[in-house]
Amino acid sequence: MSIQEKRVPSDFALSHRSWGHSGSFRAMASPCELLINSEDESLAREMMAIAACEAARIEKKFSRFIEGNPLWRLNHAGGEASAIDAETASLLQFARQCYRLSDGRFDISAGPLMALWRFDGGGIPAATDIKQAKVLVDFSLVDFDDYQLQFPSGMSLDFGGIAKEYAVDRVAYLLAEQWPTISVLVNFGGDIACPVSKGADTPPWQVGIENPQRLDSAAALLEIRQGALATSGDTRRFIEKDGQRFGHIIDPKTGYPVVKAPRSVTVLGPNCVTAGMLATMAMLQGEHAEAFLSEQEVEFKCFR
Amino acid sequence: MQLKNSSNISTALAIASCSLLGHSAQVYAGDDKQDDWKVDAAIMYYGEQDRVQAVEAIGNVQKAFGDESLLDVKLVVDSLTGASASGAVAQSQSQTFTRPSGDGQYETAPGETPLDDTFKDTRVQVSANWAEILSPVWKTNVGMNASKEFDYFSLGLNGGLERSFNKDNTTLVLSGAYTFDNVDPVGGRPVAFSSMALRGDYDSEEEYRAAFAQTRMEGSNDKKTLDMMLSVTQVLSRRWLFQANYGLSSVSGYMTDPYKILSEVDDTGTTQRYLYESRPDSRLKHSFYMMTKGALDSGVVDFSYRYTTDDWDLNSHTLETHYRYYFSGRFYGQLHLRYYQQQAANFYRPFMMAGEPIPDYASADYRIGDMTSYTLGLKFGQRLSGGHEMSYRLEYYQQNPENNGFDLVGQLQDHDLFPEVKAVIAQVSYSF
Repeated sequence: MSIQEKRVPSDFALSHRSWGHSGSFRAMASPCELLINSEDESLAREMMAIAACEAARIEKKFSRFIEGNPLWRLNHAGGEASAIDAETASLLQFARQCYRLSDGRFDISAGPLMALWRFDGGGIPAATDIKQAKVLVDFSLVDFDDYQLQFPSGMSLDFGGIAKEYAVDRVAYLLAEQWPTISVLVNFGGDIACPVSKGADTPPWQVGIENPQRLDSAAALLEIRQGALATSGDTRRFIEKDGQRFGHIIDPKTGYPVVKAPRSVTVLGPNCVTAGMLATMAMLQGEHAEAFLSEQEVEFKCFR
Repeated sequence: MQLKNSSNISTALAIASCSLLGHSAQVYAGDDKQDDWKVDAAIMYYGEQDRVQAVEAIGNVQKAFGDESLLDVKLVVDSLTGASASGAVAQSQSQTFTRPSGDGQYETAPGETPLDDTFKDTRVQVSANWAEILSPVWKTNVGMNASKEFDYFSLGLNGGLERSFNKDNTTLVLSGAYTFDNVDPVGGRPVAFSSMALRGDYDSEEEYRAAFAQTRMEGSNDKKTLDMMLSVTQVLSRRWLFQANYGLSSVSGYMTDPYKILSEVDDTGTTQRYLYESRPDSRLKHSFYMMTKGALDSGVVDFSYRYTTDDWDLNSHTLETHYRYYFSGRFYGQLHLRYYQQQAANFYRPFMMAGEPIPDYASADYRIGDMTSYTLGLKFGQRLSGGHEMSYRLEYYQQNPENNGFDLVGQLQDHDLFPEVKAVIAQVSYSF
């Protein structure tokens, strides 16, 4: 009997490949995949179990679609202060930093606006509705420290713009901590991290980037040994009105989707949350997305 | 609209992300409390053709306390019914035996192997084990177990110490156990080699009762077992590991089976009387075990060999293999093959000859005679949603007792004194 045999809920598929193992499961409404550079199947299973468990944990805690979960309780506090744990506090701190760096245009309190632009083919919301919703969107009214959080009744928080990238990094780091010599590429729906470098004697990991025009095939094949990348884009969700395409990136300052935004932006970064936030901020730049990313001195790929 | 200080954003984000990703190791452990529990439940059926049937319910709960400690509690309840070979030989005429309790008799038809059909018992076993990681290289565990059935009580303590070397590639384990057993046979403990009293040989119930009492001793008897084991596990490559164990076991006390008898036959092979068996009161066993286990592309395989020997001269060889194949990430099938061969204990004899001097020890229990046995098993396991797992096992087990060189006299040649025993094992397990 071994203490390490800790059970985790898991429901994944695993297959053997020439370079190791590839495993997959679904979480956060995305296909999740691990490429594991190890021949050891039981180890691969252990990694998959950890990954599936951690992804499920983060989804359960921060999804805004689960009634009664920790986020739901924060959003239903009715203006009262709520206790928060260390993990929630650090996600809020990161969100605040992103809010400041984006001059208020990345705002996790933008939920009411997002709800209007539901992208279910319903058309463009009325200007008065947008004005009304904007009143409830203002991260500067969200007051928090390491232990508690308070914001006006009617407002709500949505970690959707960070949670998936955060989960990718968490899974990648958990595995890298335990197996610091085994390269694993964590890919949750195109958001990717690989902290442990794939050995120089083996070919790098290959990742396909989606072409927004042709969703079923990879437009570009990217090779990475180490690092992270994230994609922001309207590849699957948009509405078109009078020939103008409205993407899924809403600018909370105007209440409308960003115009002339690229269809998708893929950014390479040191970790997935950084890459993801740079991609989102680039989208918010609209026609200046490429210029913004060039200034950041990061590798990127924009589809227009 | 341009973002503020555009060129610094990626650096600022990278710094912010470090504090986001750096903190949270304890969050993972803390939020994961439900997963510290593991519960297994199983129902097992063991059935020998025309003999013992057992149904066993197994419940196992594991609870982790942090990453360092694990408590494992197991409860097994089983119910046994049916008949087992008494040790007497088959005869051309029907045979009558006194039940172990002295109350009543049972008959065996001509040509049939005498089976004592009074075998019926319920056993409850409880065990608890605590494992603790002391440091990255030292682990320890302590445990206790107790078991109770109608005529038997057992209490044991065990402990082990594990040390890993060579970046965890080599593991050395030293473990020990002490077990105390107490037997209180139905009807009392038989006097060694006393002759079974049969009601038909006496005119009155009183005379029979007096004769039966002569074959019995008062009170219960104890047995003490001390086990020591040294085990080495070595990782050979990314896919293979090897394990070798040496075990020493010293038993002292009452090891006779109070329900087993021997037939004493004359030159024609006809039974004259039945004598209660007797076994030595000490036994020193050595066991040597080697196992190698490998990860295949979509499966796991292991091979093992065990050799045991003891001062009863009972030696055995076991060859065993398991092969597990994952049809998918959620479904596996497993094949189990086992071959076992044993040489009889030096006091084993299938019967005794009238007129020969009574030996110090003798038993006709086929389980310590020459024997080969094999097991053929299949198991299927299925991972369900939420981390639950269901598995099904079906095994066929056959024992082939053999004559270890005794001349069969007279009518004994007409009977099968070493009948095969065939059994089926079925198990359904659920873990969550």
